[in-house]
Amino acid sequence: MKKHILILDDEANIRDLLGQFLSNSGYQVTPVATASEAFKTIQNQSPDLVISDLQLEDSDGLEMIDQLKKESPGTPVILLTGVLFDPEVVENVLSKHVDSYLEKTSSLTKIRETVESLLAQS
Amino acid sequence: MKDKTTKRILAFFLLISVILFAVAVQAARNIKQSSDSSDWVNHTHATILEIDALRTALSVAEASARSYSWSNNAHDLTTSKKALSDIGEHLSITQALTRYDSNKAEEVSDIEALVNQRISSLRNILTTTAKGKAAAARGLSNRDAGNEVSIDIQRRLKKLKDRELAQLTERDIESYLQAQKTRWIIWAGVTLNVLLLAVVGWLIKHDINTRRQAAAALQAANEQLEIRVKERTAELADANQQLSMDNLEQQWTNQTLEHQLRYNQRIVDSISDLVFVLTKTSNISRMNPAVLHHCGWETTDLINQPLAKVVELDDDTNNPSNGSLKLAMKEGHDLRDQKANLKNKQGHQTPVMLSMFPLRDQNKIVGGVVTIQTT
Repeated sequence: MKKHILILDDEANIRDLLGQFLSNSGYQVTPVATASEAFKTIQNQSPDLVISDLQLEDSDGLEMIDQLKKESPGTPVILLTGVLFDPEVVENVLSKHVDSYLEKTSSLTKIRETVESLLAQS
Repeated sequence: MKDKTTKRILAFFLLISVILFAVAVQAARNIKQSSDSSDWVNHTHATILEIDALRTALSVAEASARSYSWSNNAHDLTTSKKALSDIGEHLSITQALTRYDSNKAEEVSDIEALVNQRISSLRNILTTTAKGKAAAARGLSNRDAGNEVSIDIQRRLKKLKDRELAQLTERDIESYLQAQKTRWIIWAGVTLNVLLLAVVGWLIKHDINTRRQAAAALQAANEQLEIRVKERTAELADANQQLSMDNLEQQWTNQTLEHQLRYNQRIVDSISDLVFVLTKTSNISRMNPAVLHHCGWETTDLINQPLAKVVELDDDTNNPSNGSLKLAMKEGHDLRDQKANLKNKQGHQTPVMLSMFPLRDQNKIVGGVVTIQTT
């Protein structure tokens, strides 16, 4: 059975490209643009993994992720953002909220490897 | 186009047909010869019978004429006359039977002359006896005994008969040999045809085997080709998938790069300080909106213009036109919090604090960034 991945990003191009790549890689993908849509999907479909942007139209990314973690603590979350953080910030702050942090400049292959790794652990 | 084997088979069948035709012709010819031979044998037998009958009739006629001359018995006369009549009849038949053979016809003609002579002598005896001249008739009869003509006739007839018999024997031998020859021809033809049919059978079997092997080889080749096509199709599908993924990867790179550039641009644009990006020759290549907002310049007024058009360092009399700034950029060190004057489009000057940071690309100075704080 295909693993289900929820992609949350307010940029349609990012959602489409990442969604298509992961779909071609054998995953079931649900792309959404807002946090409210993401919560609906989480409640109704229980995805195996969530890839989320940090800056959303209707919510702060980290708050949304914390809430998601409360509702579905076992679901791994990858933070995929265009904001470049210092490694210290990533180490000391972001890692407490998410299972993995990736910059959007990371390649799709790198993102897929991270997805595979997290799904294998979960 | 017919293949080689089919041509061979057709050639063999043609040969078989020719042999069968030759055998049939030979058989037909032999049947005709046999028929002709049979007619000739019947004809010869008839001739021999007529010769025998002629000899017998002649003997009977002679004997009964002599007997009549001595006995004057009517029965002998009747017998003699009938025998004489039979002689004529058998002679005519013999003549008819031998008319197509000139030698025989000539011989029979000679015999006929002698027979007629002999008949005349015998009739003379009979006539003399019938007239009651018994003594004369007996004299004639006595002289007739051992008649040379009669002996000659008998000898000639015997010779003719012997010749007919000899020819009959010769024809029998010839007919036998012909029959043997025909038998051999038929057997040889049949045997040859059986052998040819066997060869044709072998050819057909060989051809079927060859075709089966070719069909099996073709099937194997097709299966191999099908496997290769499937493999190649799978390879192409994989390559296509990889290409598609590579394409997505490329689009992703472009998209995220563009996103990053926009993000960085927004950062620069949101700064309230004036920011200039300079070329190596200290000409303006970029600026943030704060420059335009503070000075009233348009972008086109400043792009590729010297920085001195907008801002000039104080206390730079030794190095006019921002000579210190250029020197710092050339030497690759920062210039921080330097007093300077900002000129707007109308020429009004405002004191500001200027900093310059060289721009490096792989340890090579490619330009500089100037920030200006208004007080």
